[in-house]
Amino acid sequence: MNAVVEPLMATESKPKMSIRDVHVRYGDVHAVKGINLDLYSDKVTALIGPSGCGKSTLLRCLNRMNDTISDCEVRGQIYLDGKDVYASDIDVVQLRARVGMVFQKPNPFPKSIYDNVAYGPRIHGLATDRDALDEIVEASLEKAGLWHEVKDRLDHLGTALSGGQQQRLCIARAIAVNPEVILMDEPCSSLDPIATAKVEALIDELSGRYAIVIVTHSMQQAARVSQKTVFFHLGEMIEYGDTTQIFTAPQQEQTRDYITGRIG
Amino acid sequence: MTNATIFVVIALLGLFAFVAVRQRSVALVSGATDQLHSLPRYHGYYAAVVVSLPSLLVLLLWVTTGKLIVENLILSGLPQETVAANAERIDLLINRIRLVAENGSAIETDETILSAATRFNSLYQQGVAATLALAVGIAAAGYFYATNKVGRKFRARARYEQVLLVLLAVSSFVAIGITIGIVASLIFESLRFFQQVPIAEFVFGLKWSPQTALRVDQIAAEGSFGAVPLFAGTFLISFVAMCVAGPIGLLSAIYLTQYAGPALRGFAKPLLEILAGIPTVVYGFFAALTVAPMLRNHGAVFGLDVASESALAAGLVMGIMIIPFVSSLSDDAITAVPDSMKQGSLALGATPAETIARVIIPAALPGIISSFLLAISRAVGETMIVVMAAGMRPNLTANPLEAVTTVTVQIVALLTGDQEFNSAKTLSAFALGLALFLTTLVFNIFALRLVRRYRQVYE
Amino acid sequence: MNDNDEHMPPAMQQVDWASPQMKARLNRRYWMDRLFRGLGLSAVAAATLFLIVLLGNIIQTGVSGFFQTSIEIDVSFDASILPDPALPRSEFSQAVAQVNMQRILRQALLEKFPDVKARGDVVRLTRLLSSGARSQLRSLVVRSPNIVGTTIPVQLLASDEVDQAVKGNIDVSLPEENRKLKNKEVGWLSLLQSENRVSLNFHPRFITSGDSREPELVGVWGAVVGSALTLLVTLLTAFPIGLAAAIYLEEFAPRNRLTTIIEININNLAAVPSIVFGLLGLAFFLGAVGMARSAPLVGGLTLALLSLPTIIISARAAITAVPQSIRDAARGLGASPMQVAFHHVVPQAMPGILTGTIIGMSRALGESAPLLMIGMVAFIVDVPTGIDDPATVLPVQIFLWADSPERAFIEKTSAAIMVLLFFLISMNGIAIWLRQKFERNW
Repeated sequence: MNAVVEPLMATESKPKMSIRDVHVRYGDVHAVKGINLDLYSDKVTALIGPSGCGKSTLLRCLNRMNDTISDCEVRGQIYLDGKDVYASDIDVVQLRARVGMVFQKPNPFPKSIYDNVAYGPRIHGLATDRDALDEIVEASLEKAGLWHEVKDRLDHLGTALSGGQQQRLCIARAIAVNPEVILMDEPCSSLDPIATAKVEALIDELSGRYAIVIVTHSMQQAARVSQKTVFFHLGEMIEYGDTTQIFTAPQQEQTRDYITGRIG
Repeated sequence: MTNATIFVVIALLGLFAFVAVRQRSVALVSGATDQLHSLPRYHGYYAAVVVSLPSLLVLLLWVTTGKLIVENLILSGLPQETVAANAERIDLLINRIRLVAENGSAIETDETILSAATRFNSLYQQGVAATLALAVGIAAAGYFYATNKVGRKFRARARYEQVLLVLLAVSSFVAIGITIGIVASLIFESLRFFQQVPIAEFVFGLKWSPQTALRVDQIAAEGSFGAVPLFAGTFLISFVAMCVAGPIGLLSAIYLTQYAGPALRGFAKPLLEILAGIPTVVYGFFAALTVAPMLRNHGAVFGLDVASESALAAGLVMGIMIIPFVSSLSDDAITAVPDSMKQGSLALGATPAETIARVIIPAALPGIISSFLLAISRAVGETMIVVMAAGMRPNLTANPLEAVTTVTVQIVALLTGDQEFNSAKTLSAFALGLALFLTTLVFNIFALRLVRRYRQVYE
Repeated sequence: MNDNDEHMPPAMQQVDWASPQMKARLNRRYWMDRLFRGLGLSAVAAATLFLIVLLGNIIQTGVSGFFQTSIEIDVSFDASILPDPALPRSEFSQAVAQVNMQRILRQALLEKFPDVKARGDVVRLTRLLSSGARSQLRSLVVRSPNIVGTTIPVQLLASDEVDQAVKGNIDVSLPEENRKLKNKEVGWLSLLQSENRVSLNFHPRFITSGDSREPELVGVWGAVVGSALTLLVTLLTAFPIGLAAAIYLEEFAPRNRLTTIIEININNLAAVPSIVFGLLGLAFFLGAVGMARSAPLVGGLTLALLSLPTIIISARAAITAVPQSIRDAARGLGASPMQVAFHHVVPQAMPGILTGTIIGMSRALGESAPLLMIGMVAFIVDVPTGIDDPATVLPVQIFLWADSPERAFIEKTSAAIMVLLFFLISMNGIAIWLRQKFERNW
């Protein structure tokens, strides 16, 4: 019973996720106002805008993390492969396995590096035996570019790693359940420039394989890692387009003001 | 004349000094108080403190040591043969004297004791008079010192605040004083006990039957003082209690922090706290009157022989009592786990139960363990429930359906009712108290350490 | 999914979320979650249920403790036995005190039951009434001397056994040898009941009098006064010392090892079993200082040792909550550290300090174990009038009554528990009210 969702733009590929007329309210606060957006499997989409513009809120709707907030009300449709994730028959546990998330502050569990990565596969039962689990852990850490740094100390605490390593560990943790979409909520905001560069390189590395949505307050970062950029202001989507176009020839005055630093 | 009179006299002198010196300082500058370094009232406060504080110390010294001093004076004044005849039980002799001195000579017939009691009273009255004289003398000296000090440049406020600071500091040392008092009194009495009973027997002995001679001249079979059955009983009941409080307390904490809405949480949390506020004597009554007979009757239905003072009944009710100790401390520990951990787990597609079992509980484990330790410590030291609902007979068993006795029950039994001073039987209560104190101390220190180290991790 | 890298392990390549295995697994996981949730809810429910059963049990048995059975008997105040009411008042009451009221009672009962002849039966008959009935008659005569020479119906307290039978706590269908109230007495009682002479009334004596050996004559007032005096001593010693210690530790103490030791020490003291404080009180206050046993003074001091750590901890928390800006502002106006502490910080922290103190006091009010150690378990009839009178406190009174063998003491114990809980609830209510009235967010 998948709905046929018309893409917003005529493109060669089918969107992985489609957002249609989404409104989000926290109590009396109207945080997100009528957003329409498409996200593609092979592209990195950056959500930019001043703080409090609703970009993180929208991001947290995509894997229904907003469900944990009691007075949060979401209206509109969010489709994953043509199926509304807010439909009553959607299983939120499965949804979150398919739409992974990386947070602003690295949040490894106070467990070993191995157990951090193995956490997702274990709860979802993705590995049939210990060898398969070892393989998943290794592959995930490899993809996250962390394998060579930690392969000799997989039994050390994940919380003992440096900030940048912790964030890459969290990315490895998300990859380990083999998601289709990865949401990143300002993943570099608590990292130093060198660690940031590594994480950005990693995002670039992963970009062909997953639909990646990254919220960032850094326009340079959006320009560096994304192919599509969305500009938000006060809960509304001001402009959506190819990253190069947004940064070189913005259509809207507000976008231009923002990227030139006149509002922020 | 009593000690209370002296106190009132000192207080009045202090008040007088305040008024007099305050006026004097005003008079000194003919009312132009801005010429004084300190406000007149600070001159007054200072004088009041100088006048009353040393005298109060004298009074305190007299109140705490006076009777001991008089006792020793009486003892040295007693006829040689009386002392010799009572050499074994000198405390008993003094007690008889003091009993007569305080309550009159209703049953006492011994002439020596009667006269000693009269002497006790007159000596004590002399002591009170001397204390009063000393207190007033010191107060007068203080008054003259303070009046001489009054002057334009005298920094009365600074001096007064120095004294106040010392008083505040001394107050905070009272807490240490209490601990020293506990340790000292327990150790002192326990040492006297261990002079009569070898420490090894107390620690490793399997038989507890504190029988000693009832009269001074009676030579009865010495009792046995093996504390093992008492501790076994204590831990059996504590174990039963933790079987109730551990799961219920922890699961409640989990439910209230992770699943319940704010309304239920706001309602249920204080409700659990009420359980901790109910006096233990109420639990004891409930255990003895309702739970124990119920268990006995239900046990009989299943063909089980449940003692009417079973460890199970006392343990179950004690478990109810310590639920809030587990739940509120576990609640704190779980709440202290950063929300980002929970978010991280949920975002990976874990169910709330998986998040709790695999992330939150392991992260909060030190705090949870510490809550369990504190609860056990509370159970081990709990007195009224076991006094009312557990048995008196030492019983080395692991069967909760039988009656056992506990350390606290024995302490109460040994120290209430008729007691013989200085006998191993009475002194053994202090040895048990010391053992109890040390046991709970180990649990507490361990628990507090865990909590502190755990807080450092997340703050 | 375009994840087809050759070095990817097979486990990572395909996740078929719709497969039956995955669906079954998912169901199992949800089932576990519901189970866990259910367990948690039942734990909360169990704790609540315990509380309800406990309180319900106490109230159910306790309410009848406030009521007592009276029997209406026609008493003839025989002028030949009683003194002449024309006597001056004081002489009259002295003379009444000498009268054997038991005789008048016996006569009244025998008139009601003329068939009772045997000596044993007569004794049994008089035992329908409480031993307090005599003093009831006595005070009645003293109050209204003109009843001498008349015969009037008088409400007299029934004995505890009769009272229990009226309240339905004694099963009269049991074989006679298994109960104290024998068949004859049951017969007399039902006769009186059929004549509507037996009534169950509110019993103010339970609130206003002291302890007694007879359950129908006991009252909690002695213990209430004892508790009040004891708490007064506790409050007057623990509050100033606790407050001073908290002020010192928060505002003045240098951060050094000694301070750390004091802090650890206070935290540990708060967890020391209360009976150990009783041992300290016994060894120090009674042994070394030689204070009087069983008195509120020594009881209050012992409880002060016990509640001092609680008071210090809560006072410190209240003082820490006062924002630094207030201190800075006062310092900026030239106040000395001592003035800052006493004129600004402590008044701001006072609601919190008082709340903590009240909670500490309510805990002290419920405490009994340490008081057993210092002899506050004596049987004391008189209401104490000072802090060095022998006294008992409410929880210990409950303990003593709970230990008494008479059936009627069960409801008296429960009723006393209700009185104790009433005071505890009031104190905690005041604490909560204080907290809410003065709570502020800086």
